[in-house]
Amino acid sequence: MNDNKTGFALRVYRWLAEAFPHEFKLAYGTELTQVGEDVVEDIARRHGTAGLVRLIADIAARVPIEYLSEMQRDMRYSFRALLKSPGFALVSIISIGLAIGLAMTVYAGDLQLVFRDLPAATNVKQLVMPEQPVSYYYAEQYREQKNLFAGVAAFQSDVPFNIVLPGGANAKPERVFGQLVSPDYFAVLGVQAERGRVLSPALDRPGDAPTIVISDAFWRNRLDSSPDAVGQSIRLNGQTATIVGITPRGFAGAAAIQNEAEVFVPTTVRAALAPELANDVLHQRNAKSFLAIMRMAPGVDIESAEAGLDTVTHRLDEQDTAAPVRADKGGRVSLMPAGTMEPVPRDLRRAAIAFFAALMGLIVALACTNLSNMLLARAANRRKELAIRLSVGASRFRLVRQMMSEGILLSLLGGVAGFVLAYWFSVLASHLSPPTGGSAGPDMTLDWHAGVFSFTLAIVCGIGLSLLPALRATKADLTPALKEGSALQLPGHRRLGLRNGLMVIQVAGSLMLLLTTGFLVIGIDKASRVQTKFDPQSMYLLSIDPPRDGYTPEKTQAFFERLPERLKIVGGVQRVAFTAQAPFAVGGGTVQMSAQDSRVQTPVLVETVGAGYFAALSEPMLSGREFGAADERSKADAANSLPVILNESAARKFFADGNALGKHLQDGKHSYEVVGVVRDLSAGLTRARAMSYLPLTEHDFAQPPAGGVTIMVRAEPGSDALTGIQREISAMGPNLTIFNAQTLGEYIARSRSELRFAVRTYGGVGLFGLVLAAIGLAGVTAYAVAQRRKEIGIRTAIGASKAQVLRLVLREGTFLIGIGTVLGFLGAIALAKAAAAMADVLVDAFRLGTNDPRLLVGAPLLLATVAMVACYLPARRAVQIDPLKALREE
Amino acid sequence: MAQIDPKKFTPLKPQWFHIMLSLAGGEQHGYGIMQEVLNRTTGKVRLWPATLYGSIKRLIEAELIEESDERPAPEEDDARRRYYRLTTLGKRVLDAECDRLQELVRAIRVKQSMVTE
Repeated sequence: MNDNKTGFALRVYRWLAEAFPHEFKLAYGTELTQVGEDVVEDIARRHGTAGLVRLIADIAARVPIEYLSEMQRDMRYSFRALLKSPGFALVSIISIGLAIGLAMTVYAGDLQLVFRDLPAATNVKQLVMPEQPVSYYYAEQYREQKNLFAGVAAFQSDVPFNIVLPGGANAKPERVFGQLVSPDYFAVLGVQAERGRVLSPALDRPGDAPTIVISDAFWRNRLDSSPDAVGQSIRLNGQTATIVGITPRGFAGAAAIQNEAEVFVPTTVRAALAPELANDVLHQRNAKSFLAIMRMAPGVDIESAEAGLDTVTHRLDEQDTAAPVRADKGGRVSLMPAGTMEPVPRDLRRAAIAFFAALMGLIVALACTNLSNMLLARAANRRKELAIRLSVGASRFRLVRQMMSEGILLSLLGGVAGFVLAYWFSVLASHLSPPTGGSAGPDMTLDWHAGVFSFTLAIVCGIGLSLLPALRATKADLTPALKEGSALQLPGHRRLGLRNGLMVIQVAGSLMLLLTTGFLVIGIDKASRVQTKFDPQSMYLLSIDPPRDGYTPEKTQAFFERLPERLKIVGGVQRVAFTAQAPFAVGGGTVQMSAQDSRVQTPVLVETVGAGYFAALSEPMLSGREFGAADERSKADAANSLPVILNESAARKFFADGNALGKHLQDGKHSYEVVGVVRDLSAGLTRARAMSYLPLTEHDFAQPPAGGVTIMVRAEPGSDALTGIQREISAMGPNLTIFNAQTLGEYIARSRSELRFAVRTYGGVGLFGLVLAAIGLAGVTAYAVAQRRKEIGIRTAIGASKAQVLRLVLREGTFLIGIGTVLGFLGAIALAKAAAAMADVLVDAFRLGTNDPRLLVGAPLLLATVAMVACYLPARRAVQIDPLKALREE
Repeated sequence: MAQIDPKKFTPLKPQWFHIMLSLAGGEQHGYGIMQEVLNRTTGKVRLWPATLYGSIKRLIEAELIEESDERPAPEEDDARRRYYRLTTLGKRVLDAECDRLQELVRAIRVKQSMVTE
């Protein structure tokens, strides 16, 4: 029995002794095994089984220690090796750092920000919301589906409130954004109050005194973290409301990435406090002005919830006899996960992730290929050293590990550089002011997720970029490598297959990157360019929202009727017009319209503008007239059709001959008569560039949109009319809140700042690819020249001219660049097509970008030129090779 | 070599000290070191084989011991084994460590006598 144990222990011991690193085994392996054999009997006798276990434990613990110490030595060795070639190290670290920094910026800035879990909510995976808005009535019906949902809340996001803080009785109101929520909103999200209580159906009933919950940010920034904030009253849109609770830190409402919600007002308050609730909107089944958010019942997944909800919606639609019967057979509701900062439809989410992953993968792969190439060239210089080490007994595994540790060290340093870069990007991004309206979006944060991400990426890069060169370098055939003369061998293409392959990949990848980002840059740039017919600095934009400052609809109407006359008195003012949104807004609402005798529905952007809007912009009507004061009083009902102005694109889309004047359109609810056509004003990054302009009416004045009513004032260029205008408005309405006062030029610059930032980022990415390609090609050519020194020397000695030598060296490079260019071109087109097919948002950018001949011709030419220069510089050295020296080198 | 301060290495790790102490009498092979330590400590300290060779490797790297090319008399020589001996630096380090320990022992004695009185 004892013999059995000893025998087993010895077998395990021997097996473990074999597991030591090669070099350790070479030195001590035999003796280690032998000593084990010598002492095992003694140990068994003296200490019994415990001793044998101890013997095995000792050796088992030692194996990883030896490997670790070897790794440590490798790292030290690599570090010294890199110090010896600082240029190589610097270039590598910068290129890897750029790649990782860019990837991190995208990860932390775009992906993580959007896909981060909703703060403070519980079980966020169970939260879903329909992509389309619903009516409050429908949301209440959905709530009855207990088999599908544990809870359903309805809310409106980005609702503006004019508030006066406690103690600031006579202060000017401030404008904050909040959400109008059904009382069970917090229960559905699973958000608890940090102080006080959240809203609840039991405590907040219709007719009760108004109560609100405020966000932690509101409490900190506006109430100075006052300990007795709960219970205080504040004035909201001119009405008094009591603060009953404060949300946890970081919570800013569901789906509130545009405007963080600072106040949460229950839908049980009266319409005087929240004009959104006017016209008994809570009971109108067709007033689809609410978003619904649901918590799925346990065991229900998003697909079955969607199917169930679809059935319910169909039934509800059919019960509604007033609504036109819809013939669509497809689903009416699509659900999207709502437990993240910004709910994104499922297919878009996949597309966005795939696109960014592809772009970032391309960048990182490029940087890795580049470094691989350089490491390969370096390894070739060390061929002899490696061959010697192999021949004196170093294991190949050991050498591979050592060479890889160099790559990993480089990419780890690159990771650090990338982290610094990403941090710098985030600082840069936070300095860029957000577009008009609302508070700044949440800053991108570099938390430990991002750290882990970059570290992982660095390790993966390190292994990826160094494995191939290491395997290749150590596969060297010893004998020729040891002999110096081997360099005379003609570099057959097969032997350099890997290197050439990498070079082709490099050129192709760089071109893909350059073209794809170029498409985006040019597309975004084209789509967002604004051309005004006057100096945009001479137009002032100011927004007001009288109903939220306590004005009755009648008083509001009277105010707006008198305002233009009063403003025209101010010195320098030439024209005054009202609009529901600033001109040249990015995005905007879309509706489906059709020509009167056509069933074809066309999506058009809608803007609501007042009388004299186009005149204020110096835009002449192409045909017809623009809105006048009479149009502002028009009412939409069954008998009347509303006037509408189309832009050229819309006119052509609806009426083949483009002759739209006097024709009729309809959108299901109303009928419209085209009274004028205007040229296409730039509309920003949107697919539907057809636009329709509807008149601003009493209804809009009484219930202004989130941005309020914007007053456009054209003044004589150079005159500073803004102060006078503000004074005049304040004189007319002393307690009116004036917000977003700016010139049109400032507004355009600001609203495009994100786009410009994107353009710069993408431009930077593209250039980065170009620089990488140049570095890689230069490195490879230099290496090839160094390899063929001797051959070139002989050729020169027997009379080859300089031009011939140059041609010889460049021929290979040109060939590879050619192949790479073709592949890269095809790849970029494919990537653009795939991306455009996946995401609507990208279609326009790519459509405009891919058509640009400057890019299609320019980018490959630019890359090829840079690549040729990158080849040429080291190739020139080949010409300078002194044949005598080269031949004597042996 | 003379510039290296032996104090840099002290206090020595216990297994290093035992190995070096065993080599103080002359060159010895791994198995011999192990047996010597076992005998010297009447079986209380056993250098387990992997620890032993791991320590030997590090001692050689630290240049405290080296492989000896002098073999013992042929009749005692075990041709399969490698022999190790202290380097000059190793000797000085061992000296320094012994001094340090003696100081310690002296201090302990003083304290002990104070306690027993």
